[in-house]
Formats: sequence, C-alpha cells, structure tokens
Amino acid sequence: MGIVFHLAWRNLWRNRRRTWLTAGAIAFSTILLVLWVPIQFGAYEIMINASLAVFPGHAQIQRPGYQEKPKIRNAIDNAETLAKKLRASNQFVGVATRAQGFALLSSGTRSYGAQVVGVEPVFESGTSSIPGLVKKGRYLSGIDAQEMVIGAALARNLKIKIGDEVTLIGGGKDGSVAAAILPVVGIFESGSNELDRFFSEIPLHTFQNIFSMGHSAHAIAIVGKTVEEQDSLLTALRQETKDRNDIVILGWEQLVPGLKEGIQVDKVSGFIFYGILIAVVVFSILNTFLMSVLERTREFGLMLALGSRPKRIAMLMMLESTLLTLMGLIIGMTIGSALVYWVHIVGFAYPGMEDLAQQYNMPGLSRLYPQLDLFNFLIGPGSIFIATNIVAWIPVLRIRKLEPVEAMRTI
Amino acid sequence: MFPRITRTTMLTALTVFNLASIAPAQALDAAAIIKAAMDQWRGTSSHSTMSMTIHRPDWERTMVMEGWTAGDKKSLVRVLEPKKDAGNGTLLIGDNMWTFSPKVNRVIKIPSSMMNQSWMGSDFSNKDIARSADIIDQYHHSLLETQTADGHKVYVIQSVPKEDAPVVWGKEVLRIRDDYVLLEHTFFDQDMKPVKRMKTSKVGMMGGRMVALQERMAKIETKDEYTEFKMLSAKFDISVPGSTFTLSNLRNPRF
Repeated sequence: MGIVFHLAWRNLWRNRRRTWLTAGAIAFSTILLVLWVPIQFGAYEIMINASLAVFPGHAQIQRPGYQEKPKIRNAIDNAETLAKKLRASNQFVGVATRAQGFALLSSGTRSYGAQVVGVEPVFESGTSSIPGLVKKGRYLSGIDAQEMVIGAALARNLKIKIGDEVTLIGGGKDGSVAAAILPVVGIFESGSNELDRFFSEIPLHTFQNIFSMGHSAHAIAIVGKTVEEQDSLLTALRQETKDRNDIVILGWEQLVPGLKEGIQVDKVSGFIFYGILIAVVVFSILNTFLMSVLERTREFGLMLALGSRPKRIAMLMMLESTLLTLMGLIIGMTIGSALVYWVHIVGFAYPGMEDLAQQYNMPGLSRLYPQLDLFNFLIGPGSIFIATNIVAWIPVLRIRKLEPVEAMRTI
Repeated sequence: MFPRITRTTMLTALTVFNLASIAPAQALDAAAIIKAAMDQWRGTSSHSTMSMTIHRPDWERTMVMEGWTAGDKKSLVRVLEPKKDAGNGTLLIGDNMWTFSPKVNRVIKIPSSMMNQSWMGSDFSNKDIARSADIIDQYHHSLLETQTADGHKVYVIQSVPKEDAPVVWGKEVLRIRDDYVLLEHTFFDQDMKPVKRMKTSKVGMMGGRMVALQERMAKIETKDEYTEFKMLSAKFDISVPGSTFTLSNLRNPRF
C-alpha cells in the first residue's frame, strides 16, 4: 500500500500544471458551493421570517375548515380564554386572538371591500409586525376602544386621514347586518400590497359587538422562538389544547402554502445550477485522467509485464483521482469556510436592504446571514467527491483491457 | 323575486324586434318567452312582501322584506323582520346599488368590486340581484325542447352570453311554463358544469297573476345550503310614486 501511495503521489506531480489546474477547478466550484448553499438557505429563512412576521405567525389555532373557507360563523368559542391559557403556559413567544371578517368600508363618497380583523391590541404586536408599521397616528389603544387602523393604500383610496370616520357594513355571525362608524386612529404601511389595500384592524371586543360574535373568534396566532422549531411548537400546542377537540392547529406551511411552494421552486432551480457546476468539474477531471491513462499506456504495459496485477494499477489510478479531488476540496473548503465565516460575522447586504428592513419593521432583515448547518456545508463538496470518483472509473476500466506486449509498443 | 328587473328599454326592445325579423323563428320564440317571463314577474310596477330563509346545515335565518319595483330599472327592498335588522334597505337604479343601515344612519353605494359578494348573507350575489334581467339583452337564446308537465307546456331554453357580455357564467338553462312562470334556472360555469340552481316549488295566483310563490336557490354541490324565497303578498301594475326610488326615501322611509 505504501508504495502505491508513493507512486500515486509522484504521478500526480509529473505534470504540475495540469494537476494544479484540475485541483483549482475543483477548489473553485467547492468555494462556490460551500459559500452559496448556506447563503441561499439563509435567504429562505429570511423570506419565511419576513412573511410570517407581518401577520400569519408561526402557527394558528382555528376551527376545522376555516382555513379553506373562512366563514364568519365558523368561530372558536371562548377563544380568549384559550389564548390566556396558552399565554400562561409560558411556552410561546406570542399569542394573540383574532376575529376576522369581510366588510364594506365607506368614507361617504367612496366605498371599498376590505378584510376587518378584530385584535387584542396588547398582544397583537407579539405575533404581527402591523402594530409597529403604523406610520401615521397610533395603534389601537384598548380591547374595546371604538377605533380602527387601516392600510395606507386603503386610506388613500377612501380619501381619509387620521381622525376621519369610516362606515363599516358587513354580515354578522348571526346573519344580521353588522354596521358601525369608527374613527381611523392609525394608518399602517406594511409594504405588502395586499395588506395595505384590503386590510383594517379594530379592537377584538369592538369587533365581537359589531359582528354579533359573543365571545368567539376565528384564530389564535402563535409565534414560537424560531421558525425552525415548528415541530416542537406544534407538539407543545397540541399538548396545551388537548382538552379542546373543536379546533385544529395549523403550521405556517398550511397557513401560507404559496411561500413553501415558492421556495421549493427556487430550490429546484438552484440545484439545477449546482448540478451543471458539478458536471463541468467532473468532465474536467475525466479529461485529466483520460489523458494521463493514454499517455502512460507504455508504462502500464511495462508494469503489467513486470507482474503488476491490473487490480493494483487500478488502485493506483483511483488513489491518484482521490488525492487530486481531496486536494481541490481541502483548498476549496478552507477558503469557502473562511468566506462563510466572514459573511456570518458581517452579514451580507445589498444596497438599500437596510432601508427596506427599517421601513417594514423587520430588524432581522437588514442583513442576510448564511444558514450554518453541516448538511448545507457538506452537500456541495460531498457531491463533487462522489461524482469525480465515479467518473474516475471510466479510464481505470481501460487498464483491464490492456495487453502487456501491445501496450508497451504504443507510443 | 323583487329585483328581477327587466332592463329592456325602448332601444333594446327595438333591437329584439329587429333581430326578430332576421333571426330564425326558434330563436325569436326563446327570447320572447324569456322576456314574457320577466315581464310576468313585475308588470309595469309592483309592491310585495316576501320572506327569505337562509338555510345552512347547522343554522337557519328568516327575514321578511317589503319590495317595490317600477319599470325595469328601479327597485327598493326594505327589511321588516327580524327586529335587529328592520329598516335595512337596498335601492337599485339600473346597475347602481345602494344600501342603508339604520344602525349607522348612512347610505352607502355598493362598489362594483363588491358586486360578487353575497347579498344579505344569502346565496344570491349583489350581481344576481342587480343584473338578473341582463339575460334578455346580453344572451343568445335557443329553445332546446318543449316538455309537458302538469298539463302545461314547459319550454327549456338555453341562454349563452354574448361574446362581450360582462357575466361570469358559461351558460344558463331556464325552464319556463307556458303561462310564463319560471320553474327552474340553472347557472353553468365556463366549463359548462352546473354551479347553482333556482327552483320554483310552488306556483299560484297572487295579485291577479300566476307567479312563483316559493323559490329556492342552492349550489349544486351543497344542496343543504340554500336560500328560499316565499311570496307573502303582491300587487302588480299599481302606481308607485317616482320618489320611492330615491336615496332620501331609502334613508327616511315615506313609502
């Protein structure tokens, strides 16, 4: 074994420039993969956090069927009591009860349809960034205050400013006409077109009075420590609500199905790109080895004639390929990890990103950080290592066909 | 039903007449039957009371309403019962729709973006209420077959919207009795699958004419969710003052 290794090492340096070029190609693609995969996953994390932070939360408790068909009658009884219990368990970062309905909002001359959400003003900021996004005026003051906050585009459409009254007309839980006049105390700007155009919030008890809801509500939004801890969050929720069989617990994938699908599509296109990158590297390796086998046909013939078994020569070749790949990988991973670490420390920002984050009340969004996890780190180098070792077999298989005498005659 | 407004103005009447002279006889018949059925509903004017029951598997609610119509463009409905909703009203003039709620004492115009929303929580959309008479001039009609039922001839008419008609339906199929009572009205989506159906379950004399006394609108897929109308009283071809159909009368009832 010692001699085979020795031979392999010496063979590698027979053509320095070629070896360095091939190792460089491997190193370069390794750097790209080691750096880019974690950044890509870090970007997903930010996307998920940003869209969940605005309104949906990490999970919600609803009545069965409400997510598919949000009917005002399909409401959770004594929702506030349940929310209070969840809050008391101290396992969740944010818990907020919400009642939701659709209504016609009118400023007298203009009318628009909009989503109206009854919220607990004190707790809503724990599950949604909207309270922090109020750009004009203030957020709701109390759970039974007669007031309303609306989206900026909706305010513009209705032509209203802080202090103006909005007439709300919709259908109550009992089928009666729900109507009220509420002054607008705040206007929020979330950056989401949908929310800014079609969204308004009023205090929960005010909502329950107007829409004849009694003590019921439609959703309890919950925020856990991080999005990744979804499973333990759902388990804890199930544990805390096991005495209620009239509700369902929905994770964010179910609340915002489009988000996960979008990420999946992006992942697929990312992996196609990585696949191409790996294929290019693999072909350059294949080329190197094919050349080296061809130019050493004489040498192999001689070795065979001297009594080397084809197996031994094949082992020599495989060892050369492995050594070359490992060299490239080590260089690539060293530089790549240094870069990832650097990005991890200083973050990755593009111009304007910070302003954007500030505007949308998402402090975590100002910089992008790579998602450091062993899988993300090793998937690139691992794929390159496996792929190059597989293609190295192609030239190696040629050796088995060599006839010693004939091989020694080739130039 | 009160807002089944026949929107045939003189102009459209003329168009229908003109078409009649060149269209095949069958097409003329179908369009004429539909127009006659619409006219049967309201006459030149009407004043009626009816009840509307919204039924859901776990829930039911009945409202009593009073309605006035004049010509084919104007109608007014006001809720009488339950007490909680009494005084809520809807005014229709042409394609425009206003709603009034005594709770807030405001009249609000329903924007066109809300026309697909349910009317008073029922299985009818605002559009159904406001535009049901579009079927006369916005559709091509053809007589599919003539059946016999209970000693009456029943015409089955298929109405396909014209290319530029602002409707969501792929087609509609109506069954109309020979005395112009509408027995059944089925709405099909663009894939020609039936979506919802209105069925007349009781026909009788009221206010001097033969009308549908009880009708039920239900989605095809969920038959246990429906909205049922019952005619309680009706007068036709009476004089209704023009001031009935004004915003001020919607707000402060005088009629």
